[in-house]
Amino acid sequence: MSKTIIKTIISAVLVLACTIGPIVAALAYESSRTRDLTAEILARAPEKGNYSPRFVTVAFGQKVKLRVRNIDTVTHGFAIPALEVDAGEIKAGQYAVLEFTPEKPGKYDFYCTTWCSEFHLQMRGILEVTAR
Amino acid sequence: MSEQNSKNQRLLGLFPLNWRFDLASLPGVRWLLKQRWFPMIVILINMFIFIVILMSGIMGGFSSGNYSFGIMFVWILWWVLLMMLLVPVLSRTWCMMCPLPSFGEWLQRLRIFGVNNKLGGLNLKWPRRLSNMWVMNFLFLGTTFFSGFFTVKPLVTFYLLGGIIVMGIVLSLIFEKRSFCLYVCPVSGFQGLYANMAMTEIRVKDPNICAKHKKKTCETGNKKGYGCPWLLEPHSLKRNTYCGMCLECFKTCPFDNMAFNIRPPGTDLLVNEKRGLDEAWKSFIMIAIAIMFYVAMMGPWGWIKDWVRGNTLTGWLKFISVHTAFALVIIPGIFFVFSFLSKLFSGSKEVRLKAVFVNLSYCLIPMGLASWIAFSFGFLLPNGSYILHILSDPFALGWDLFGTANIPWTPVATGWLVPLQFITLFAGYLVAADYGYKLSLQTYTDPAAAKRGFIPLLVLLTLVVIAFGWLYGG
Repeated sequence: MSKTIIKTIISAVLVLACTIGPIVAALAYESSRTRDLTAEILARAPEKGNYSPRFVTVAFGQKVKLRVRNIDTVTHGFAIPALEVDAGEIKAGQYAVLEFTPEKPGKYDFYCTTWCSEFHLQMRGILEVTAR
Repeated sequence: MSEQNSKNQRLLGLFPLNWRFDLASLPGVRWLLKQRWFPMIVILINMFIFIVILMSGIMGGFSSGNYSFGIMFVWILWWVLLMMLLVPVLSRTWCMMCPLPSFGEWLQRLRIFGVNNKLGGLNLKWPRRLSNMWVMNFLFLGTTFFSGFFTVKPLVTFYLLGGIIVMGIVLSLIFEKRSFCLYVCPVSGFQGLYANMAMTEIRVKDPNICAKHKKKTCETGNKKGYGCPWLLEPHSLKRNTYCGMCLECFKTCPFDNMAFNIRPPGTDLLVNEKRGLDEAWKSFIMIAIAIMFYVAMMGPWGWIKDWVRGNTLTGWLKFISVHTAFALVIIPGIFFVFSFLSKLFSGSKEVRLKAVFVNLSYCLIPMGLASWIAFSFGFLLPNGSYILHILSDPFALGWDLFGTANIPWTPVATGWLVPLQFITLFAGYLVAADYGYKLSLQTYTDPAAAKRGFIPLLVLLTLVVIAFGWLYGG
């Protein structure tokens, strides 16, 4: 192989490693890390998008692992009182991981437990536990 | 003041302005500067970082500024490095390692490391009337209209950096070489102006060697490197303003006649070459922005914060109007009054008012740079600890790559903040006054007239340092 071809290959590899590399690496790492998550819920004040998703379905009797990520600029909370699940305060940019096993099918409200905006009371969603 | 006299001058009466030490006289450094892979390898590392910055703008904590890699890296770490270290010490070394125009440059060259002096693209000349700092002045000022969003909304930083990259690619395909960096990039202008203060420079070692060298390979390029991408004549480089320190001249010079000098700060302020209103306005704009940023980000006036953050459209438009008028009219207007007084006090009739205005404006550069360094302390010390968090969790996804994700926000040495700011401002004031006097001497020639003409300038600088002192510490 000529010197020019080797140089071209090295250049291409370096450029790809520095441009596409971080994107692929980040996505692969996150995918491996979240493989066992049931769902991820993003938390924002209602006027900025509310919980997303606001409707989550899980199976009865199976272990649920939720990650609630606060991507807002204010503190939020997350609780499902009927299931005795409470993340407490989740500060801006931080997240909480909640693990529980629902023992009864039904629809359960989840909502923010920290006063976050004038629309705070609208910051809520539903976790539906379905029969297997 | 003759060229010879200026060479014999001393900064603050202590450091000879003509003192130089060529770092490239050290064999290891010269070897490094002549390698084709340098600085490209540093550009590639920065490209990696900037891709992560761009990614953090569109994934992860996109509403939360303090946990955003993009915001913390760009507006805390990079900005602080730029203002405190890179520009004042190393001139335009950021331009040397900046990844933003690289895609455009690679498309022109169709090479990454290698040399191909037959550049692609349309290769048009940049319009002569725009061959100055005005476009950069307006673009940089325009960018600051969004300052209330940059530091809280990662997506806005993504748009800004992405916009610069796209603009760089498009303009590189239309105009020759680094026209984008020279005349458009919003970050380029102030670096160029403040690089006059830098403690390093690239210059020729022996001008006689260049005079005898007919081929001028530093301009035209050869098989070892490109002709100056910044469209300069490296063989007769006199000041840092437009030199992007790409190091191509080190590679193309067949006589090893380029030097990477350490020097006393600010010597370029006395070089009367390409001085103009565009550069004068750049220094006014920079001072205006330093004041506005402080008032909006660290001041106690909530209603101004609401304006800047665009809580209402009317408020934001008011901010844009006031900020623009302050930067483009009020500060230049104040400086004009003091320039007029300087000419009046000097008693000189031969010197044109425009020359007084332009020449003396260069003493605002040390003052402006000092105000930016002092301002940078104001967010580095309280907020620097966020850097440790975002290094481990760059996308606010709950990662802990280096075990530092859970380090809480920890302000550092904030008790020293105001003293540090005062010391910095005072040092800037002393250097500004020193160069102000030298510029007055250069402008009026007659020492007695220069002394009289310097009095209003000294009054202005004193008022400026008092105003900054009140703002930062009051």
